[in-house]
This record gives sequence, structure tokens and C-alpha cells, in this order.
Amino acid sequence: MPSTITLPEPPPVLKAQSNNLDFYYGSFKALKGISMPVYANRVTALIGPSGCGKSTFLRCFNRMHDLYPGHRYDGTISLFPDGVNILDKQVDPIEVRMRISMVFQKPNPFPKSIFENVAYGLRVRGESSRSFLEDKVEAALRGAALWGEVKDRLRDLAVNLSGGQQQRLCIARALATDPEIVLFDEPTSALDPIATGSIEELIGEIKHKVTVLIVTHNMQQAARVSDFTAYMYLGDLIEYGETKEIFMKPKRKETEDYITGRFG
Amino acid sequence: MNSHDSLAVKAIIRRHKRWDVIFALLGLMALAVGILTLAALFVDMAVAGIPRLNADFFTSFPSRRSAQAGILSAWVGSILVMLVTAVVAVPVGIAGAVYLEEYARRNVLTSIIEINITNLAGVPSIIYGLLALGLFVYTFGLGQSILTAGLTLALLILPIVITTTRESLRAIPQYIREGAYACGASRWQVVRQHLLPYSTPGILTGVIIGLSRAIGETAPIITIGALTFIAFLPPMPFSGDPPAGLFEWLSSPFTVMPIQIFNWTSRPDPAFHQNAAAASFILVFMTLAMNGLAIWLRYRLRKNIKW
Amino acid sequence: MSDKHLSTQFDAELTNISTRVLEMGGLVEHQMAKSIAALAAFDAEQAAQVLREEERVNRMEMEIDRDLSAIIARRQPTARDLRLLIAVSRIIANLERVGDEAARIARVVQRLDAVGLHGRIRPPVSDLNFESELAVALLRKALDAFARLDPVQAVEVLKQDDEIDREFEGLMRKLITYMMEDPRTISTSIDLVFVAKAVERVGDHAKNLAEAIIYIVKGADVRHSPPQQIENAVK
Repeated sequence: MPSTITLPEPPPVLKAQSNNLDFYYGSFKALKGISMPVYANRVTALIGPSGCGKSTFLRCFNRMHDLYPGHRYDGTISLFPDGVNILDKQVDPIEVRMRISMVFQKPNPFPKSIFENVAYGLRVRGESSRSFLEDKVEAALRGAALWGEVKDRLRDLAVNLSGGQQQRLCIARALATDPEIVLFDEPTSALDPIATGSIEELIGEIKHKVTVLIVTHNMQQAARVSDFTAYMYLGDLIEYGETKEIFMKPKRKETEDYITGRFG
Repeated sequence: MNSHDSLAVKAIIRRHKRWDVIFALLGLMALAVGILTLAALFVDMAVAGIPRLNADFFTSFPSRRSAQAGILSAWVGSILVMLVTAVVAVPVGIAGAVYLEEYARRNVLTSIIEINITNLAGVPSIIYGLLALGLFVYTFGLGQSILTAGLTLALLILPIVITTTRESLRAIPQYIREGAYACGASRWQVVRQHLLPYSTPGILTGVIIGLSRAIGETAPIITIGALTFIAFLPPMPFSGDPPAGLFEWLSSPFTVMPIQIFNWTSRPDPAFHQNAAAASFILVFMTLAMNGLAIWLRYRLRKNIKW
Repeated sequence: MSDKHLSTQFDAELTNISTRVLEMGGLVEHQMAKSIAALAAFDAEQAAQVLREEERVNRMEMEIDRDLSAIIARRQPTARDLRLLIAVSRIIANLERVGDEAARIARVVQRLDAVGLHGRIRPPVSDLNFESELAVALLRKALDAFARLDPVQAVEVLKQDDEIDREFEGLMRKLITYMMEDPRTISTSIDLVFVAKAVERVGDHAKNLAEAIIYIVKGADVRHSPPQQIENAVK
């Protein structure tokens, strides 16, 4: 029987810090002065009603906005321990994405084999040694609690897996490159409750190896899964704190109104 | 809902169903008109031409004696020209489409290019022939050769290839692209490792459809001067001594199926008309076979692409 | 921003719980008053009524508990709503024990009636009455503070419990004196000690109610906190 004693966690270490971050889509200011810490090996959740900017903020971390014209960053996001500002124009977005990976709302495995999906991030970096890739793929699939189910069919097409399995595959793909931060953009909104539960369980496990930043519109999920929670509204960061404080005794009335369902 | 209401509702439903049936019949009739006409033409041609089909027909050169005339130089010529067309149109078309879809910024210049490409598809094929005559035959001095024909037809089908490729690229959902970028891929890696492989079924279909149109083009080929009476075959590709000998076939005079058919049809002797019917049957068969290949390839390759 | 939930059903459920808590509070308040009156008048019949009503008190506790568990399961309440439900669970447990104290007092009345000792000794009933009036008034004040979710009034309740404790000590000294003066009054006096203790405990339950109210409104758990800290929490 595994031990049920939970040891106290060591004090949190800063992994990333956003400082006065503004973000513009063209002339529209989507983020207003967001300053927020992201602690290493912890799960930080971003909650808020639709249009509050939580996904926009998340996508700043892996420079996803760079794929589309008309974006402008104003402010910094520093990544530790080296302290580099990942929003700096001099910093290559590809470098950022190699340190910070992402899992999307709709499971998006490539129409390739399971093996090739997980190995993709490594191939992009130029890795081609068969045994190296096999080891990394196995480790990643184990990390995503999928190895047992797919180890005999790594050559099968990934798109034939169930929805929950596909999402776990995407998580394995994100983990294969040993990222420092994994971003989750509403990872379970397309899944049924049981698949959702297994993903949440997985997030709780992988946080020991990586830092997790998750956007969710499901407050109970944020309450279940995260250590820290940030409540955003219309581009502003309203409140940030430990999850149990936010859900038991929020400091701001706006936060309390949102989480108790006094406004949508 | 009382019984009076349900009767009224039933009457309405019956009326709607009647319209369903009427529309289905009208649609079927419209379809039938088109298909029956085509079938009638095809059957007429087959009945006239099939008796003429035998092994000699395929292996004989054209001759003044109808019984000995065959389509050897025509079908070999068609295939060689198609080869050149494909080799030129496919890379240029795909590269152009990829550039427009993935690399070009959305501005006035791009819009102008896009409009022009779509318009090119509607330009009469004789114009291509005249362009080719001036540009390839005289200015570049390529002569009245397979190379010229291939280049001309490549230009002709380029809009088709570009448009089909662009549509195939657009069909790839944005979240697949984002997934690849999020793994740290560069734009070229995304294009080469994801976008092109996933749009291959669509691209192939477009290429084959383009080729099956090109194989029947007569006007531009005539304009650039394909000969109508060829009693020899172009040298086989890559059969001569390297380096120049490999490409000797490109500068050879040639003929193609539509021209041979046209030539035989314009002769007074009805026996040649039968030859023309037989050759037409072969040409239609080749076209249908290419379309069938396109459909089959599309089906096979599509199976593995699911989003 | 309104104080109502998007779900009016949820609002109705919470209001319903609060109303029934107040109902239960009124009932046990009444039970206390009745049992003390029964003692003063040595009315065994009134005492029997109290004991019969006790069953209703217990049933109310169980029903309210069951319904608030259902709300927690269905609504996943957070923050203020969650604190309210947790506090209500504590409050009704305290109210049920107040009902138990009233029943205890009623059983003493029955015992004294059986033994037939009315009139023989001078029970310090008026002192008992005074102590119990203080306790019942304190309970009423605590219930009122719950109805209005008023933390300031809750703090006053916390302070006034001291008065009841002092009264109890005074009563104890008096009873000991009686027992020393006249040993025949010992067994009755001991019964009265139990009654006085029961009343003093009612004061403690009122105090627990007040602490629960502060938890609901301020989120601060002030059980076992010194008075200055409580004042600070409520500011």
C-alpha cells in the first residue's frame, strides 16, 4: 500500500514572473498590466469569465501570438533561473517553445503514428538516433500514464485513440522534450468526466517534474488541481493567491462573486 | 395536442413530403440528361471504334492506308508530353501555393497575385499556344518539341495545381499547425513535415485532374507546331549517350493523341473515321483511367489523415 | 453586483437552511425557558412536555444536517457559502445540546417531584432564574446575530458569556453554603448544581454560535483565541 502520509512541500521557488504585461491585438488592449509569479513545480490556474484574457496571457508564455500579425507585447515575462525576458524581440520564439511546451483544448495529435507524435519535438531538434528516441518516447508515454495502453501499437495511427488517450498523447508529446513549463489551455473541456479525471490526476503527478500553468473555465477543476489561482476579468488580474485561500476566503469581492456564482 | 391539430400537422407534413419527391425527381432528370448524353456519345464512339482495336493499332505508325494506320507515335507522344508537363507544373505549382498560403503577408500585392491566378484558369487554351509560340519556340529557341509542348501545358494547368494545393493546405486545421509550432518547429519544418504530407491527397488529385485536362488539349499543341504525320518515335528518354543524349527526346518533333484524331477525322475516307473513333475511345479511356487513379489515390491516402 | 446567486434555486436552498436554523433556535430557547419555569413551579407536567418536545429538536438537527450535506454535494459551494454551511453544521450541533440541557433540567424536575421535596428546603430558585434568564437572553442575542450575520453583535455575545460564568460561580458558593448548613438538602442541592451547570453550558453554546458567525462573515476561526485577537479579526 502506498504511504498516505503527505510530507509538507518545500517552499515555492520562482520559475517565471510577468511584469506589467500589456498585450495588444492590433489596437485592442487585451491584457492590462499583468504582474504575476509562476512558481516552479506547482500548478498555477488562471480562471475568469469568457473574454477575460486568460488564454491570451497563457499564449504569451510560448510566443504563440507571434504566428499571427498585429500582435504587440509591452512588458516582460522573465524565465528563471537565467532571468531572460522571453518576450524580447531578440529572443527567438522557437527557443522559447523548446523550453515551454503546450497542450491544447482540442486534442490535436498529428495524423502520424503514436511513436512519431511523441518523438516529433525531439526530431525537430535534430535527434535521429533510434535508441535515444525510443527511450525518450517510452519515458514520455510513461509520464503521461499511457505507456501500458499503447506499448504494443506504437506504429498505429494516433488519431485512432479515444479522446482521453489522444489528450494524454499530446501531454506525452509535450513532456518528451523535458520542458521547464507546460502550458495547458482548457485541456479537458472537450473530454468526458472520466477522461477529465485522469488528466487532472496526471497534472497532479507531472508537477513534480515540470511547472504547470493551466487555463480553465471550470472553477471546480481549478480548485481541485491547482496550488495557486489567479482570477482575471476583462484583461486585468483581479486577485492572485493560494488556491485554498481564494476558494475559502478571497480578498476581493469581485473574486468572491465569481467563484460563488453570483455572476457568470 | 388534440386530434384536430394532429390532422392539420399530418396534412402539412404530407405536403412537404410531396415537394421532397418532386425535387428528387427533377434532380434525377437533370442528372440523367447529362449522363445519358455522354453515355450516348461514348457508346456511339465505342460501337464505331472498338472493332478496329487490335494489337496492331497500338503498335503501328500512322499510314496513308487506313487498315495499317495506328496510334503508336500518338500515344507515346502524349505520355512523353504529360511527363514534361507534370515535372514542370508540380514543383512550381506546389511551391507557389505554399508561398501564397504560408509565407506571403496578406496585403494588396498578394491579393492581386491571387486574383490573377484564378483568372488564368479561364484563359482560352489557344492563348497559351500563342504565348508559347512567341516565347518558347522563337524567343527561347526551344523549337517545336516535346519540351515546348510540356512547358505550354504546364502553364495551362498551373492555376489548377496552385488552387487545389491551396485548398488542400487550407483544409488543414489551424490547431494542427499550432501543435507543430508549439513543439518548436520552424515554418519550413511545419511545411515539409506536416502541411505537404497531409495535403498530398488533395495535391495529387489536383495534379491528375490537371493532367487529364492537358492530355486532351489540342489547340495550343497545334499552335506550337506539333506535326500531324509522324512515322517515327522520339528517342526514348535517357537512352542516348550522356550528357546531351539523355535529353535528346525533349527536342524531338512529336505528335499527340488529339491531333492524330483531328487529322483522321478531317480525311474523307470513312475508314479513317473509324480509326478516329477508335483513337477517341482510347483517349477517353485514358482520361477516365487517370480520373479513376486520382479517385483511388485520394481514397487510399485520405484514410490515414484524420483530424 | 447583486448578492444573489445566478441560481435562484441555490439562493432558496441557503435561505431555507438559515430559516430552519432560526426555527430550531427558537424551539430550544423555548425548551429552556419552559424547563426552568417547570423547576420554579415544581410542575412535573410541564417537565414531561419538555421531554416530549426533545424528540423534535433531535429530528430537526438531523434534517438540517442532511439537507446541508446535499447542498455541499450538489452545489460545490465556495468561500462565503461554504463557510456558512460548515458553520451551520456546528451551530445546529450546539443547538441540539442546548435542547439536551433543557431535557436534563426537566428530568431533575421529575426526580424532585418523585422524591416530593418541594417546599421543604429553600432552593435558590430566584438565583437560578436569573442565571437562566441571562443564558436564554444570550442565546436569543446569538440567534439574532446569526439572522443578521452581524459580527459586532457576535463579539458582544462572546463578552457577555463571562457574566453567566460569574453567576454560576456565585450559585455554586451559595449551594455549598446550603449543603454545609443543612445536610438534608445535599441531594437536592446536588441536583440544582447540575441544573446550574446545564444553564452555564447554554451560555457556552451561545458563545460557540457567536464564534461560528464570526467565521461565516470574516473567515477567521476565533475558537480558542484571546479577546484582543477576536476584536481585531472583526474590525
